[in-house]
Amino acid sequence: MILPGRCRGGKLQLLGNALVVLALFAGTQALALGSVDLNPAAWAAPWTGDVVLVSAGLLFLGLAFLFPLHGGLLNLGIHAQFLVGYSVGASIVRGGIVDPAAQAWLALAAGVLAGGGTGLVMAWLKQKFAIHEVLSGLLLSAAFMPLGRALAVDRVTPPALTIELGAFATPLRFAPGLSLPPSFVLTWGILLLSAALVIGLLFSHALRNAVAGFAVRATGANPLAAVATGVEVERVQLALLGLGGACAGLTGALQVWTQPAVMLERWPFPLGFAGMAVAFLGLGSVRGALVAALVLAAWLNTPGAAAVLQHPGWGAAITLVLLSPALWVLPRLQPEQGAPRSIWRTRHREAI
Amino acid sequence: MGDKDVGLKIGGLTLAEGGRWAVKEFDLAVPAGAVHVVLGERDTGKSALLQSIAGFRVEEKGTIRFPGAEGEGREGAAARRRGSAFLPREIPPSALRVAERLTLHQAPRWLGIGIDKRRAKEQARERAAALGLEPLLDVPLEALRPLERRLVELAAALAESPGILLLDEPTGDLGPHEARQFLAALRSAAERAQIPAIVTTTWPRDAYPEARGVTILWRGAAPVTVSTTEVTEIALVERWTGGIGIKRTPSGAHTAGDMLLRAEGLVLQGRGRETSLAGVDFEVNAREVLAICGAPADGLNLLHDILLGSRTPTRGTMHFLGKDIARAPRRLRVDSGMTFVNPPHARDQSILDFNVDENLALGQMQGPPFARGGFLRHDSIRGNAVRALLDFDIPETEPDTRFGDLNLGMRQRLIVAREVIHNPRLLVIRSPGQGLSLEAQEYVRRTLILQCERGTALLWLTEEPEEAMRVADRLAVLTAGKLVWIPVTETMTREMIIEEMSGAAA
Repeated sequence: MILPGRCRGGKLQLLGNALVVLALFAGTQALALGSVDLNPAAWAAPWTGDVVLVSAGLLFLGLAFLFPLHGGLLNLGIHAQFLVGYSVGASIVRGGIVDPAAQAWLALAAGVLAGGGTGLVMAWLKQKFAIHEVLSGLLLSAAFMPLGRALAVDRVTPPALTIELGAFATPLRFAPGLSLPPSFVLTWGILLLSAALVIGLLFSHALRNAVAGFAVRATGANPLAAVATGVEVERVQLALLGLGGACAGLTGALQVWTQPAVMLERWPFPLGFAGMAVAFLGLGSVRGALVAALVLAAWLNTPGAAAVLQHPGWGAAITLVLLSPALWVLPRLQPEQGAPRSIWRTRHREAI
Repeated sequence: MGDKDVGLKIGGLTLAEGGRWAVKEFDLAVPAGAVHVVLGERDTGKSALLQSIAGFRVEEKGTIRFPGAEGEGREGAAARRRGSAFLPREIPPSALRVAERLTLHQAPRWLGIGIDKRRAKEQARERAAALGLEPLLDVPLEALRPLERRLVELAAALAESPGILLLDEPTGDLGPHEARQFLAALRSAAERAQIPAIVTTTWPRDAYPEARGVTILWRGAAPVTVSTTEVTEIALVERWTGGIGIKRTPSGAHTAGDMLLRAEGLVLQGRGRETSLAGVDFEVNAREVLAICGAPADGLNLLHDILLGSRTPTRGTMHFLGKDIARAPRRLRVDSGMTFVNPPHARDQSILDFNVDENLALGQMQGPPFARGGFLRHDSIRGNAVRALLDFDIPETEPDTRFGDLNLGMRQRLIVAREVIHNPRLLVIRSPGQGLSLEAQEYVRRTLILQCERGTALLWLTEEPEEAMRVADRLAVLTAGKLVWIPVTETMTREMIIEEMSGAAA
């Protein structure tokens, strides 16, 4: 479903995104053919808890960007929320007070709260001091980067937390995690993935059919008209940034579950921003993002992707391909009316 | 007119705009030093024509020439971009001071590096003096009144010594006397510089007395150019309507009923150099139209803001049905029976990306009949739209049509339908026909007046004296932040109202 008021993608944009995905699959496999590190056997055993967790992580990150997007907000603080979630989760694991399974759940809950809190802080900064969410989001991301590094469980800088491209080494160093048994990861990973799917579909349904969903759409399409018709725009935006932050925080905390084979850490740019790639590939619609997350998770598990992403130059090229859908989706993101006049202020605030 | 005197010459111009021809095989010659008006409702291709002359668009066919801009195709367009000055409809607010704005593009340099401040100041003073802006040199642009801002932009454009001046709806945010003042300044500037000036507008009055000629653009019909010396303003309006036999509203004076709204001593500080409200008193009764006419910067915008609930008066009270609502939010006002119709281009009364049915239920989605238990009732929303489209005779529109795909007139008809369908106690109306075709204007006015005859009170705010005269049972002019009451009689003329608006009567 392409939602009115947000990314009005058409057939051409859909075709463009399909071509991007095809290019990703075909390109990485073709490049990997010349790579000595290519291990076709890896293709034989990817469908484990790892893949499930990758899909769940990408889905939650996609939702973290999409929830605020439907309220007219660009949640560029998604990486900050991810980092906060990861840092809080890692702190709990380092504490090691309770058994690993309990720590796993505690880390997730704390990540959700911390990420949601970061989203709320961004909304507060926007409403109280008129600081645009793009600016506060990027600044918070930069501020939380050292925190993520300092709290990394194995004291090795996790590649996903850096902004350098292509620093992926083999064997994977990131997050030895809790040494959870594969059966735990698979079972609960499936539950998390299902939760992400249900949340996404419920949100999509509510947007179309619920009064609150109508308020969200009105806020995203035209905040001025939304205010005039009695929608509490600031409260809606606060809730959406909080929800988005909670999803990103959960994904961050999920990293402490992961085993070395998990592919998420091979992501070619700061992992938090993966949500944007998912949203753009899904043309800004919730259901599109669900499909995009699953497709990207499958791509990350191809043996070619694993080999190619270790090369810095190819990693940069893949980043560009992944971000190219933004070229035709981003111009459609700004509402036609009541759009932010500048990076500092929003017009509906000035008008009321 | 010999070729030597011709400032702008357009031959066989063909331009596409939004899937149709804005102009086809269009010819025009405007003498140097003359003002020419392009008249048309919104979306008729006025801006496209202007942008094409300015070289921002390449013409499909034909030639456009003015001194310093020859050639065709992309080269011609580039030459026209260099040789013309284009003043857009919207002037974004800026913190620059007037003196800085006037020397922004060609500031005198010191050794070719830094700005020579002394010379820049002299230059700015010279440019400002030409249009009477000298006292404003140190005022930030965002604090200026709309007329002053337009004059500053004109002065800045003239400083670039263009071969032609192109102004896109410069009078859109001005009152009639301000528009006259601006157009007079424009004509003398064009005469002095011996360059043509092309002005687009939605108001026939802008052509008189300053313009030499008028080109009327219709959607789907060939443009017509007439001379203002041969065609009077009344004849021009008749010609613009295309002989569609519009009947004039209103239907006659109404008998006032109970008092619904009483405002006493409303005071509100204006922004920048905007005139403040200095104690406004009025009351509105059921079944009557109270028209308040004024220039936007003379307090009309402030009064509208207070009525909408966007701003709170610093002093004074406003009682609606006996309750003080001066500090109540808009939602509460709507819930208690006060609704609003704003100008067609206002951004706060519709959502272009939503469908017609959703827009027709906008603001009523919180409960029955359009929602129950927190969920929307799509059948009710659609049914409401079907009924409204039939009752208000709105053609070629379906409930699931995207609102933004409709033309401005159709959108305004739908908004008026939405507001009157629930029989409100008081309708606060602000220039509902601004920029619409005369046919659409008449439709909107007639619908609103009919609603008045059903018992609703209308508080009609407008910057158009003609509109005020045609709808008012009682009429007040907002001037210098206060209301001046004018008796509505057969002998009342537009000039009387304009005189009051400009303060000349005092």
